[in-house]
Amino acid sequence: MLLIHCPYCDEDRAEVEFVYGGEAHIARPPDPSALGDAEWEAYLYLRANPRGRHHERWRHTHGCGRFFNAVRDTVTDRFETTYKAGEARA
Amino acid sequence: MSGYRLPAGGRIDRNAPIRFRFDGKDYRGFAGDTLASALVASGVTVFGRSFKYHRPRGLLATGVEEPNALVTIDRGPGRVTPNLRAPSVALHEGLTAASQNRYPSLRLDLGAVNDKLGAFFPAGFYNKTFMWPRSAWEKVYEPAIRRMAGLGESPVTRDPDHYAATYAHCETLVIGGGPAGIAAALEAGGRGGRVILIDEQEEPGGGALADPAQWAWLEESLARLAALANVRVLTRTTAFGFYHRNFVGAVERLTDHLPPAGASGAREKLWRIRAGEVVLAQGAIERPLVFDGNDVPGVMLASAARTLALRYGVAVGRRVVVMAVHDSGWRDALALAAAVVTIAAIVDLRDAVDSRLLSAAEAAGIACRTGHAVTGVRGRLAVSGVEIAPGGTGAAERIACDALLIAGGWTPSVHLWSHARGTLRWDDAWGAYLPDAAIEQVRCVGACGGDWDFGGGVAVPALPSAKPAHRQKAFVDYQNDVKSGDIELAVREGYRSIEHIKRYTTNGMATDQGKTSNLNGLRIASEALARPVTQVGLTTFRPPYTPQTFGALMGHHKDALFQPVRKTAIDGWAMEHGAVFENVAQWRRARYFPQAGEDMHAAVARECRAVRESVGMFDASTLGKIEVVGPDAAEFLNRMYTNPWKSLLPGRCRYGLMLREDGFITDDGVAGRMADDRFHVTTTTGGAARVLAMMEDYLQTEWPGLNVWLTSTTEHWAVIAVQGPRARDVIAPLVEGIDLSPDAFPHMAVREGRICGVPTRLFRVSFTGELGFEVNVPAGHARAVWEAIDVAGQQFGITPYGTETMHVLRAEKGFIIVGQDTDGTVTPDDAGMDWAIGKKKRDFVGKRSLARPDMVVGGRKQFVGLLTDDPAEVLEEGAQIVADPAQPMPMTMIGHVTSSYWSATLGRSIALALVRDGRALMGEALYVPMPGRTIRATVCPTVFYDAEGSRLND
Amino acid sequence: MIEIAPLAIAATDLAVGAEPLAGRNVRLSLAPSAARYSLRARDAALLSAVIGRALPARIGEMVEGIACLGPDEWLALLPAGGVLALGEEQAVSVVDISDRALGFVLEGRGAAAAIASGCPLDLERFAVGRATRTLFETVEIVLFREDETRFRVEVWRSFAPWLWHALAAVIAEG
Repeated sequence: MLLIHCPYCDEDRAEVEFVYGGEAHIARPPDPSALGDAEWEAYLYLRANPRGRHHERWRHTHGCGRFFNAVRDTVTDRFETTYKAGEARA
Repeated sequence: MSGYRLPAGGRIDRNAPIRFRFDGKDYRGFAGDTLASALVASGVTVFGRSFKYHRPRGLLATGVEEPNALVTIDRGPGRVTPNLRAPSVALHEGLTAASQNRYPSLRLDLGAVNDKLGAFFPAGFYNKTFMWPRSAWEKVYEPAIRRMAGLGESPVTRDPDHYAATYAHCETLVIGGGPAGIAAALEAGGRGGRVILIDEQEEPGGGALADPAQWAWLEESLARLAALANVRVLTRTTAFGFYHRNFVGAVERLTDHLPPAGASGAREKLWRIRAGEVVLAQGAIERPLVFDGNDVPGVMLASAARTLALRYGVAVGRRVVVMAVHDSGWRDALALAAAVVTIAAIVDLRDAVDSRLLSAAEAAGIACRTGHAVTGVRGRLAVSGVEIAPGGTGAAERIACDALLIAGGWTPSVHLWSHARGTLRWDDAWGAYLPDAAIEQVRCVGACGGDWDFGGGVAVPALPSAKPAHRQKAFVDYQNDVKSGDIELAVREGYRSIEHIKRYTTNGMATDQGKTSNLNGLRIASEALARPVTQVGLTTFRPPYTPQTFGALMGHHKDALFQPVRKTAIDGWAMEHGAVFENVAQWRRARYFPQAGEDMHAAVARECRAVRESVGMFDASTLGKIEVVGPDAAEFLNRMYTNPWKSLLPGRCRYGLMLREDGFITDDGVAGRMADDRFHVTTTTGGAARVLAMMEDYLQTEWPGLNVWLTSTTEHWAVIAVQGPRARDVIAPLVEGIDLSPDAFPHMAVREGRICGVPTRLFRVSFTGELGFEVNVPAGHARAVWEAIDVAGQQFGITPYGTETMHVLRAEKGFIIVGQDTDGTVTPDDAGMDWAIGKKKRDFVGKRSLARPDMVVGGRKQFVGLLTDDPAEVLEEGAQIVADPAQPMPMTMIGHVTSSYWSATLGRSIALALVRDGRALMGEALYVPMPGRTIRATVCPTVFYDAEGSRLND
Repeated sequence: MIEIAPLAIAATDLAVGAEPLAGRNVRLSLAPSAARYSLRARDAALLSAVIGRALPARIGEMVEGIACLGPDEWLALLPAGGVLALGEEQAVSVVDISDRALGFVLEGRGAAAAIASGCPLDLERFAVGRATRTLFETVEIVLFREDETRFRVEVWRSFAPWLWHALAAVIAEG
């Protein structure tokens, strides 16, 4: 079971308290109506899915309840870092 | 082999005799024995029949790596456990054990015909033989083969035992209580911090238990550990898996070693341990040698024979031969000789052996044959002799014996290291993989890390022989009956990767997970492929290290605690009044309230009539509720739902439709505006958590600047729906502080006041199409208020109704149920709910997707009603719909029935469906093919009753 | 719809115990009724002024019955009947959730071990005065450490029967 460092609680907590939230730093377009179909499809469905360093979101659902970002290696499952929502991409 | 009890020696308690049964026969042993040691001491040689060939098999090992001696232990009704390894079964008074996979008995097993027909059962045989005729495979061959092959029989009754579980944290976790592990635990304990030491055996000591010279040190060390308050020692505990960040799963066996009558409490305990550092001290496992006849009962690992003699006081035979390629075989032979077990000869493949070992052997009167190999074993149910030859190919020599010990070298146990993604490196001296680099905070000590002196040796894939491999019965995987010839066959048939060779031959895939076969199989494959071992690869180690019970893994979640069953505060009243319940998400809800003699059909018909004609009451407490509060509350709801919210006045309600970003309906519910900055939003029962999570996602990560917060109030408010023409009359005498008159309190409004003296949020809403109220009260008062409403409603014949009636009444009004009439692919327009979209809204979640090409194209499935030609015919929910019943199969399906009921209100059946271009088919006939008949129905609007909605406005 | 399997019928009979349960070194009881409020705001000073009470500054801290659970979230546990101002029209959220949950009290030398049986926190590192939302197996709880050997567990009303009986089983195990 992973140990995840919640940047809000500033503590390592067990994975079971968290919910994975998909790829990070994909902002909802401020004016969706202005997007063409291909752009909108990319926003909805296309994700990087890298082998290695992955910027992703987690939510500390059964803890402080906050969403935050993480950089995790998808091969080793090691977390490189976690940082609060809204902070610059690590 | 004719094992017998030595007159002295061992750690058994010779003052504590134990009686037990094996295959219906009575035997005797001592406290401290295992089932295996006691049976060997009693002269038993055959312990089981092999999986495929039903060959008689004896004990090979004395640890968890034992592949042959699998037994079923019977601890009473519902407590029969198959596939336990006899050397791991602690003997207790009255133990009842049975061998497996034999009929009628171990000594005479009809399944042995498989051995004679062995040529038809090579690796991968089910792809090659028994192929014709094809139909015979399913009906004849497979069932027969399944019956004949197998290990134990699965239990068929519920497990009556209970199991415990816990989390634990420590700074140091030591796995393995042999000399290296004990030393590591003492060292960590001395440093302070919490230390846990676990060992899978009945007592700690590991290899030291078979070396009397270490017993004094062992006793003293264990006493020192016991004296350390920060050290916890767990025995009978197997660490079965090593997971991320030093999270280790282990199972402690609490009562299986006790007579059933003396066993109380949990049978096993699951330990979920998080450690700062893990020290692995798992030791090493001795390798068998691969040669013709290496599975005759009486062929045993040399270290196992040593353990039997020195730990259990049991001699494996009266005249023992040792076949070694490693010094440890000599050491074990000398230790046995010192324990007064007669060693007739030591045979070693190596020409040159350490002279000290040679002289010690000669001094002990043991014949030495270096440069020789065993080429054959005589005997079937027990070893009676061996054949040896110089280099394995020279002139044969026979030696009479009743046990053959084999010493093929040692394999460090790297299972848990590998679970934790530690890498491995090949070591030529060990002829095995050793731990290399870790990614967790873990280190290895002792033999499992390559830090132990077993002596030196060579490693060979198989012993040399003049006979070709395919004509030898030379076993690599004893438990799955895989021979060296099978592995060579796999390579001949084109398999190159060890992963494929493993799966094709099933080498290493039995319950022992290849503990004694993986490396030998790897060497044979390497030789057949003419590639170095390190290029052939190594198969993956996976938890559990040894088989574990489901009961232990369930932790607290078993029987009545299997999963939480959520009940409302009114559930008790429903139960007392005979409700029949159904599961909705994690809740149990009253489905209907049958009165004397009623079936569901009759009860629901009565409940429906009562609501439409007078008044009914329904527990709607499970609906999700979210309090949306803050200056930006309306703005937030505007973005989340299709509907406009800003213009909704405080005190009014609106039905909200929520889409996913891809445009499909995901939830719905009525929301009431309590104040400018406060909304009481409702969701479906099953969608409550999902909707709140989705809202939080947008709020926290897309619009963090909005001043609005979300609080789940699902369980704070109980909801009593009072529905029917007399609904107002029922609640009026109970309500204070609210003007209930139609003008003051119109449909789709909410008021705050008191009911029965209790604060209430009273909604005038209707899911039935009748005059209706939803009485929200704090859950602690719910039952009292429900009972008061029931009393007040008696004069109007108030009728409690359940979810079934609720479904029928809303269907008569054409209201969708998200998740029943929708399936995640339905848009508002598909559902005929374009009216719910705020046309002036610039944006809301899902809006952009509604303009996607596939959403605006024709031919989408649309929500319609269906009326069957035969009014008594109730369609089946999920039934497929076609336009032309005469078309050939496979037919073109144009939709399906989503909801279908008998309507007491209309005196006929009604149905709702999703049909391609359904709205263009109004009045047309469609067909529902069912087994044996085709049903004809006409497409109609979805509102079957009171289309004008006049009954709502009273 | 799915019918409840007979095996699981027993589950539906579970109810929170009417009487406290005592084991070898731990006692489980229902906490007295309380008033509960969920308090949210980004501006803690504003929220504190609205409700007229001090708020703990850091996640995990408690001050006079109010616990900080998140960067903008507090949970107030007050004596029954307690009422807080709602802060209308202000950038705060004050929501009465008094009936949403029940409180259990676990006290005794074995209290921490009883909680550790299903909660993944390292309780030896969970100091007196701390509070956090967490889990007991699959059930969400808010855990408060009131003393070395006394914990309060808040659990949503419909999950309370399961949790009571799960803890009871642990206590019976001794």
